[in-house]
Amino acid sequence: MSGTAISAPTRPTQGESRSQPRHSAFARRRDRRGSAFVSPFLLAFLLFMIVPLGYAIYESLFTSRLIGGTVFSGFSNYSQILGSGMFWSGVIRVIIFGAIQIPVMLIIAFFFATAFDLGVARFGRFFRTIFFIPFAVPVVVSALMWGFLFEPSYGPFVHLASALGFHNTNFLSSSLMLPSIIVIAIWEWTGYNSLILYTALKSVPRDIVEAAILDDTPLWKIILKVKLPMVRPAIVMLIFLNTIGALQLFVEPLILNNYSAGVISLNWTPVLYIYNTSINDAQYNLGAAMAVVLGLVIVAISVTSLLFRRRKGEFK
Amino acid sequence: MLSKTRRITAGVAGAAAISLLAACSSSGSSSTAASGTSTGASASASASATVLAGGKSCSSSSTPVMFWAWVPGISRAVTEFNKTHPSICVTLEDPGAGGAEYTLLNNAMKAGSGAPDVAEMEFDELPSFIIQKYVENLVPYGANNYKSDFAPWAWSQVSQGGAVYAMPSDFGPMAFYYDQQTLAKYKITPPATWAQVATDAASLHKQNSGAYLLNLSPNDLQWLMDVMGQAGAWPFQYSGGSNVTINWTGPAQEKFAAYWQNLINSRAVSTVNDAGTEVNTNLDKGVTAAAIDSAWAPSYFVADVKQSMGQWRAAPLPQWTSGADVGADWGGSTYPVFTQSKHPAQAAEFSEWLTSTDASWNIVKTPPSSLFPTYLPTLNSGSFTSLTYPISGTSQPNQVFSAAAKNIPATPWPPFMTQALTQADTTFGGVLSGKETMQQAFAAFQTAEVNYAKAQGFDVST
Repeated sequence: MSGTAISAPTRPTQGESRSQPRHSAFARRRDRRGSAFVSPFLLAFLLFMIVPLGYAIYESLFTSRLIGGTVFSGFSNYSQILGSGMFWSGVIRVIIFGAIQIPVMLIIAFFFATAFDLGVARFGRFFRTIFFIPFAVPVVVSALMWGFLFEPSYGPFVHLASALGFHNTNFLSSSLMLPSIIVIAIWEWTGYNSLILYTALKSVPRDIVEAAILDDTPLWKIILKVKLPMVRPAIVMLIFLNTIGALQLFVEPLILNNYSAGVISLNWTPVLYIYNTSINDAQYNLGAAMAVVLGLVIVAISVTSLLFRRRKGEFK
Repeated sequence: MLSKTRRITAGVAGAAAISLLAACSSSGSSSTAASGTSTGASASASASATVLAGGKSCSSSSTPVMFWAWVPGISRAVTEFNKTHPSICVTLEDPGAGGAEYTLLNNAMKAGSGAPDVAEMEFDELPSFIIQKYVENLVPYGANNYKSDFAPWAWSQVSQGGAVYAMPSDFGPMAFYYDQQTLAKYKITPPATWAQVATDAASLHKQNSGAYLLNLSPNDLQWLMDVMGQAGAWPFQYSGGSNVTINWTGPAQEKFAAYWQNLINSRAVSTVNDAGTEVNTNLDKGVTAAAIDSAWAPSYFVADVKQSMGQWRAAPLPQWTSGADVGADWGGSTYPVFTQSKHPAQAAEFSEWLTSTDASWNIVKTPPSSLFPTYLPTLNSGSFTSLTYPISGTSQPNQVFSAAAKNIPATPWPPFMTQALTQADTTFGGVLSGKETMQQAFAAFQTAEVNYAKAQGFDVST
C-alpha cells in the first residue's frame, strides 16, 4: 500500500470466520508454524535486547568505588544524573544537532528522491547507487576521512576556504565543530533517506498524479501538494528513525577529537559521556544509569513524533 | 478487518522490528568501540592477540605462564628465558599499549578469569591495581634480594608499606633534547636554568616568528606532572589506603602554571597537541628546536626524522635553582604478577629474571626494544653509557640520561590515573587553543579530581 516498512496482512484470517471454531486442529497447526517462524527473532530479541537492558537496569542500582567496593545504592545514581549539568548539556547539544540536521537532510533527500522519481536525471539508477554508497561506508571510516578533509593545518577544505577568501578557517574549532559534524551526518545519511523516499514516491497512485496533470496543476504544486502528503507516512517514519540516531551521536566526535584537542569534552554527547564514565572512569554502574536515562529520553522524544502522526489521522 | 489481538500483535512486532532497525540505523551504534582518546585510555585491543613467543612451542610438562607486553622485540627475551628455564614456558601476547591493556586487565580481574600471570604496567598505573588488590606482593618470592640493584626512585615506585608489588624495568629520565644545528643557528646554548629557558625562548621567537624553542602540551598529564615534580610542585600525595592529597592550586603549582602561561602569552612556546605526529615533524624541521624529553623518546621520534638525522644532542635538564641537580622521569614500566595467577612462583621468577639479570638486559637494551634500565649494573656500565645512536651522530646521549637518573624526586601516583589522564585531555585541551590559561585549567582540574576522588570513597585533603 504505502511505503512504510511494515504492512499488516489484509487477508481475513481463520479466527475471523464464523464457520469454523477458533481452536481447530488446523488453526493450532497454523499457530505452531507461525510461532516457529517468529521464535528465532524473538529469541535473539530476548537475548540481545531484553536481557542486556534488564542487566543494565540492575547494574544501575549499585555503586562501585575504589574504596568500599560495590554496594546497593538504589536510585542515587539516577538522582545524581538528573542533577548533572554535564549530562544534560550533552543532551541539549544532540537535540540541537538533530533539530538542524534532520530537516535539512530530509529536504535534500526529498529533493533527490523527487528528481529520480520524475526521471529528470540521466543514468538515474547509477546516481541512486552513488548517493547510497556513503551509507555503506562504516561510520568510523567516514569520520576519519572527513577529519582529514577538515584538518586545521593541512586539510584540503581549509585551502579551499582560503581560496574563497575565508582565511584561517578552523572547521574543527569549538564554534564550527557541530556544523561540521552536521555536514558529515548529512553526507552519511541522505542517500539512505532519499532511497526510502524514492520508494515511497514510486508507490503514489498514478491516477491521482494524472488527474492533477489534467487539471493543469504546475509541477511544483504537484510535488508539494499531491506527492508530498502521500509520502507523509514514510517521512514520519524517517524522522522517528533519524531522531533515535541523532540523539546517539558518538563516533564522529570521538574520532574528530584526535584532530582537534580540547574541543570535544568528555561529555560532549550523552553517549560519549556514558563511554568515558564507564570505560575511563571505571564507573560502570553510573554509566548504566545514564544509559537508562538516555534511553528514556530518546523514547520520549521519538514517540512524540509518532503521536504527531496519529493526530493527523493516519491510524484509524 | 483484523481482530484486535492480531492488530496489537502486529503493532508490537512492528515496533520491535523498527527498534531493531533503528539500532542499526543510528549514527553511533554500527561500530564497536573505536579508537580511544589520545591519552591511550582506549579499549581497542582485540581479545585474540597474536602469540609472539611460547604458545604452541611449549612442552606440556612445563609450567605455563601467560605474559602480556607491548615493548617491541621483547619476544627475544621471552624466547631466551624459555630456553634457559625449560621447566617454565612463558607465552607472550601483545594486547595493545597502555590504556588498551589496562582496560582488558581491569575487566579480566573483575570478571575473575582471563587475566595473564604477568603483564607490563607503567609506574603510574600500578597504584590503581594495588588498591584493588589485583597484584601479588613479591617479597615472599625473593624480590628484596634485588633491591640494591635498582635505582632507588624506581624501587620506591613499586613498594608500598613494606610490600613490593612489581619488578621495575625501564624508565625515562628526562633531559633537554635539542637539535644542535637549530640551536646554533639561533645562537643559543642549552639553558642551565628555567629562567634562561624563558630568555632563550623569547630570543629565538624574536629572531624567527615561525619557530619556537619548546612546545608545551599540558594535556599530556604524565609529562606535565613529571615536569611539575622537578619543580617541587608534585600535585598528589598517596601512600596506599584511602587517604589522598590533591593539590593543583598550591603556591608551587601556581608558580609553575604562571611560568608556562607567561611563555604561552608571549608566544615563546608553541602549543601543539603532542598526541599527533605534528610535534615530531616540527622537531625534525626545526619549527621547534628542542624538547624536554625522556631517554626513550628518541626511539619513538626517530621514525619521523628525515632531515635532522645525526644532529640531536642531550643536555641536562634546566634547573629552577642555579647549581641544583634535580631530575625528572617520564614513564617507564614494571612487571607485576596478578593475584589471579595459578603459578605465582614461576611468574615471579620470570618477572625477576626479565628485570634483574644481565642476560635479559643485554637483549632488551638493544633495538627494537631499546629499553632504558632502572637496573643499575646496566645503567652504570660503560658499554651502555657510551652507546651511540644514528639520530644523535657521534655523541653519547646515555651519559646525560644516566646521570639524570640519579636524583629523581619521589612521585607518588594516585590510584586513579586512567580517569585523571582522560580528564586532563579535556581540562587542559583549552590551553592548547588559547581558550583558557594554565591557572584556570589547574583550578578546574583540581575541582574535577577532588570530586572524583570523593565519589570513589577516598578521604581527600587539599
